Amino acid sequence: MQKVLIVDDEDVLRMLIEDTLEDLEEVELHTAENGREAMTKLSMNAFDLVILDYMMPELTGIEVLGLLSEEVKAATPILMLTAKAQEGDRSRARDAGARYFMPKPFSPMELLQIVEGILGDQKKH
Amino acid sequence: MIRRSISNMSIKKKYFHIIASLITVVLLTGIGLFIYIHAEQTRMNHNQEVLQNKADTINEMAVTLNDVFFRVRGYSLLKNSNELKQAYESLDKLRDVLENYSALKLSPEEASFKEHLSTFVDQYQNVTLPKAIGFVEQDDYTSLRALAAEGNTQAVNEFLAYTKQYNMRSDKLLSDMVDLSLKRANEFTLLAFGLCTLLLLLFTLMIWRILKILIDPIVRLEGATNSLAAGEAVMIGKLHKQDEIGRLYEAFLNMAHSIQDKEEELMMQNEELLAQQDELQDQQFRLERSLGEIESMMKALDQSSAVAILSPKGVFTYANANMSEYTGYKNHELIGFTFRLLDLKNMEAARMQQIVGKLSTGGVWSDEVQLGMKNGAPVWLHMTIMPYLNDEGQVYQYILIANNITSMKNVQQKLAETLQKTEQTKIMLERSNQLNHDITYTLDKQEFAEKFIEFMNRQYAFDSSVFFLVKDQITVVRGVPQENVDRYLGSEGGDMLYRMQTEKSYITRRPATIREQGIAPEPVLSYDFYSTVVNAENEVIAVFCGTRIGYSFNDEEVNEIQGMMNRVGLAIERLFMYEEIEHGRRLNRDIVNNVNEGIQFVQMDGGMLQMNQALAQLFDYHEWSEGDLIPLEGWSGHFTRMANESEELGQFYQKAMSEHFIDSSSMKYSIGKDPLKHVDMYAIPVFRRETRFGTLFVHRDITREYELDLMKSELVSTVSHELRTPLSSVLGFTELLLSKTMKPEKQLKYLETIHREAQRLTDLINDFLDLQRMESGTQQYCQQPLNLSELVMGVIDQYKVGGTHNFLFEDEASNAEVEVDRDKIVQVMTNLLSNAIKFSPGASEIKVSLHNEAERIIVQIQDHGLGIPKNQIGQLFQKFRRVDNSASKRIGGTGLGLAICKEIIEKQKGSIGIESEEGEGSTVWFSLPVLHSPGSRHEDEPMKPSPGKYQKPNVMIVEDDYSLSLLLSEELKGKGFRVTHHYHPQQAFEQALKTPFVAIVVDLMLGEELDGWDLIRMLKNDERTEHVPIVISSALDKTDKNMMDNVEKYLTKPYPPNELTGTLQEIVNIRQGTGEVLFPDSGHTGEQE
Repeated sequence: MQKVLIVDDEDVLRMLIEDTLEDLEEVELHTAENGREAMTKLSMNAFDLVILDYMMPELTGIEVLGLLSEEVKAATPILMLTAKAQEGDRSRARDAGARYFMPKPFSPMELLQIVEGILGDQKKH
Repeated sequence: MIRRSISNMSIKKKYFHIIASLITVVLLTGIGLFIYIHAEQTRMNHNQEVLQNKADTINEMAVTLNDVFFRVRGYSLLKNSNELKQAYESLDKLRDVLENYSALKLSPEEASFKEHLSTFVDQYQNVTLPKAIGFVEQDDYTSLRALAAEGNTQAVNEFLAYTKQYNMRSDKLLSDMVDLSLKRANEFTLLAFGLCTLLLLLFTLMIWRILKILIDPIVRLEGATNSLAAGEAVMIGKLHKQDEIGRLYEAFLNMAHSIQDKEEELMMQNEELLAQQDELQDQQFRLERSLGEIESMMKALDQSSAVAILSPKGVFTYANANMSEYTGYKNHELIGFTFRLLDLKNMEAARMQQIVGKLSTGGVWSDEVQLGMKNGAPVWLHMTIMPYLNDEGQVYQYILIANNITSMKNVQQKLAETLQKTEQTKIMLERSNQLNHDITYTLDKQEFAEKFIEFMNRQYAFDSSVFFLVKDQITVVRGVPQENVDRYLGSEGGDMLYRMQTEKSYITRRPATIREQGIAPEPVLSYDFYSTVVNAENEVIAVFCGTRIGYSFNDEEVNEIQGMMNRVGLAIERLFMYEEIEHGRRLNRDIVNNVNEGIQFVQMDGGMLQMNQALAQLFDYHEWSEGDLIPLEGWSGHFTRMANESEELGQFYQKAMSEHFIDSSSMKYSIGKDPLKHVDMYAIPVFRRETRFGTLFVHRDITREYELDLMKSELVSTVSHELRTPLSSVLGFTELLLSKTMKPEKQLKYLETIHREAQRLTDLINDFLDLQRMESGTQQYCQQPLNLSELVMGVIDQYKVGGTHNFLFEDEASNAEVEVDRDKIVQVMTNLLSNAIKFSPGASEIKVSLHNEAERIIVQIQDHGLGIPKNQIGQLFQKFRRVDNSASKRIGGTGLGLAICKEIIEKQKGSIGIESEEGEGSTVWFSLPVLHSPGSRHEDEPMKPSPGKYQKPNVMIVEDDYSLSLLLSEELKGKGFRVTHHYHPQQAFEQALKTPFVAIVVDLMLGEELDGWDLIRMLKNDERTEHVPIVISSALDKTDKNMMDNVEKYLTKPYPPNELTGTLQEIVNIRQGTGEVLFPDSGHTGEQE
């Protein structure tokens, strides 16, 4: 079973992502509604993918990335999901350690494809 | 030293010492001799005595022994015991004497004698005598005689012989002793004599010595005296003695010297006297010669000067020819007359007195005097008068010498006159110069006019004058009241000016006014001189008018004044020009200084020629003031240092000021830190006649634009973020719906979500547009007077219906009349209430209260929800600010609500604020200004509708069905009631205690704790509320009959609303007892709804 962590402060979006990914086989979906909760879950489990919102109260996505250790970041692909689609946001996210980037609003099918791709790569490793 | 001191001692002392020591020696020798002789004599006497004593003792022994034998014989003969007894006694006595003798100093012979005798005595006493006694008693005289013969008698005889011998020897010794003493006495006498002779000798020697010492110097003195008397030099050496003789010697020497000195002096004096005598003779000769000279001088004086001799009383006793010539009096006309004959001019009595006084005390007087000649012609004399005093100091005559200085005096006078004229000319010239100077350097017209008129008055002695500058209407007046001139210029000035157009100057003559006439007894004429100044266009620009009282103007003056006026004309033109230039300059400066942009003009060499205040403030640089030229190094360092981008600014300046820079260019820099200012600066090269002249720099403070820009991009970013989130949901779920097959329930759920998010998008966009409109100022506010408590209640009612929260409404405001935009305030209330509901998710109570506070009404909405962290309260009214925590995030919202509320409230002169404690809840309040002053509705006073002033009756509805209560209150308000809502019986009761209600409408089914009946009971049991009529509005049928007494009316739901109003109106009528319904119809009370 592969594990995916969905971090978003908006209930509706969490639900949307969950529902998008629910049909994936052998994938376990976990959610966190803020950065702090995400940190807790990341410290307890190894995930094959983290879908991380950029703008969150308390801890932003970038801040979460800053707190994660390099090993975790190397082992865990991170998909940054953000409404901030301006120039610089993408590079900032990449510098912080996010390998994938997706602007909001996004297409669930596209997300599904990307996630499938990432998880497939992970499985090979 | 000692020797010296002795020689210095006085003779008296010295010889006193010698004599004293001599006497001491004699005395001591005498005493010594006496003591010696005395001791010798004593010793001899003693020896004599000892000898005598021994002789006596031996004599006594012989006597005693004889006595013993005598007595023993007597006994033996007479047998008388008495005799025996006495013999014994004598024997004892003999023993005593023997003992005494032995005590004496004894020679050896004497000692053996004594031994012998004592042995004998012992023999005799102890042997012989007892035997003898025995024989006597036995009368054995034979034995006795035998015994006697045995030797006793012989011993005795020996002894006696010895005694006799001894006596003789001691007598001889005594006589020897006397002889010795006599011999000694003779020796002493001889010694004494010798001593005396020695002393006498010493004495004689001494006296001889004294005499020698005394007489020697006296003899020398005598010799010296003799030689002194003979007039020879005293040649005696010094005597090195300090005693009387020494001093006498010294005194004599001094005397001798002084006598010799005096003698020399006398000699010299004598010689001097001789010399003087010679000199005197010489002088006499010279005197004679001088006398001759004086005589010739007198003759000369007589020729050149007037000489006269006056008696002590001032009578002429002599006068020479010159005297007659100078005075005009003949000689005989003078002699015998006093000096008073002469007519002395300018000679006051006091001065005369002074002169006479001076002369009579011997002083010489000399002065210049003017006198009249006999024929009356004036003549100036330099006169000297000398008094001559006799031995008693009395004046016996005066000599008068006088010289004629008339011609010299005349020349002097002429000279003085010329000098005075020159002086006057000089003053005139100086004044002219001053005027020229003033004209040149005065830039103020008023000041110029003052100076000019001052000059004219001084120069031409005007009694009064006016100078009038036509264009500026400046009038300067001297010597007449200002108002006179103003009046003149106002009325007749036109005529004068008209005349001036054709005539450049004219003089008028007129009788003096009363004021000008003054105290003059005769009628006086006044002369007015009018003169104008015209410009190049021949327009009159200034008028001068001066008045002289009593005398007119000569041609010279007129010409001068005209010339002066021409110069003044030029000066005034110049002043006009200066003023125009100055005005232009000031205008330019003001413009430059009032421009918001900082402006700076820099020459090609970098010198800053001009900068304005805006720039000075921007760079906090105040070194430059108008007219300064600050070199490049003086300002550029400061400027570039001030900027945060020092290097770039420096480079820009450098580039812009270089020769090659011909197009304008610009840069941006920032300055300061807090506050940070952003400046847009551009440089423009400035050319003058195609030559590069300098560079103009303009610094524009673009901080606001910069910040706006920043805000705008931030806003765009935020808005796009805010929009993307709901859009994500809409797009995402739509796509899921389209691409997946799912159950209908899920489809429905998705659609609902899509709908909600789309709604959120719409709200967001609406709010955003609202805010945009408000901020841009395009929002229209439709102000209308209304009652805020009704409005608030209306909004609450909407939320009560089907709401999850309990609302408490507390209306403590005595004045709730405000003039606001109704819809906007409703929007605010809705926003605040929905916030309160949203952020207190525990379904707790929300309290809304109104109260007045100094001309304002305050609305408070208090919840017991999440609260707001302290550090975020301040940001709440900013756009897109929401309390950042996960709990509130879940609640959602656009984040624009409070910003909109703030905008609305502030636009209507109100204010808004939040107090909050995180976890405890928040209180949002806003205040608005009330229309009328409070007091129109007093809480404690019962409602009394008074004629002319209608007050709305208060009704309280206690009802938990909000829609019904809303319906009822609409109905009641429409009929002119004021309605207060409550749904909780306890609060309704408390409200009833505070507010006087005309009636209370009560629903019976209220809550769980208390119901309508409880409320009625409470109201009726309290004396403050027992009179208030109760109307029951209930779905229940009348059940509790007991309580019905307390109830005015029982309405059973459902009932038409107007039934309630009818009932209430009835009640009010009954209460007022008038029977007349005072309710205005609804149309009349437009403000109520």
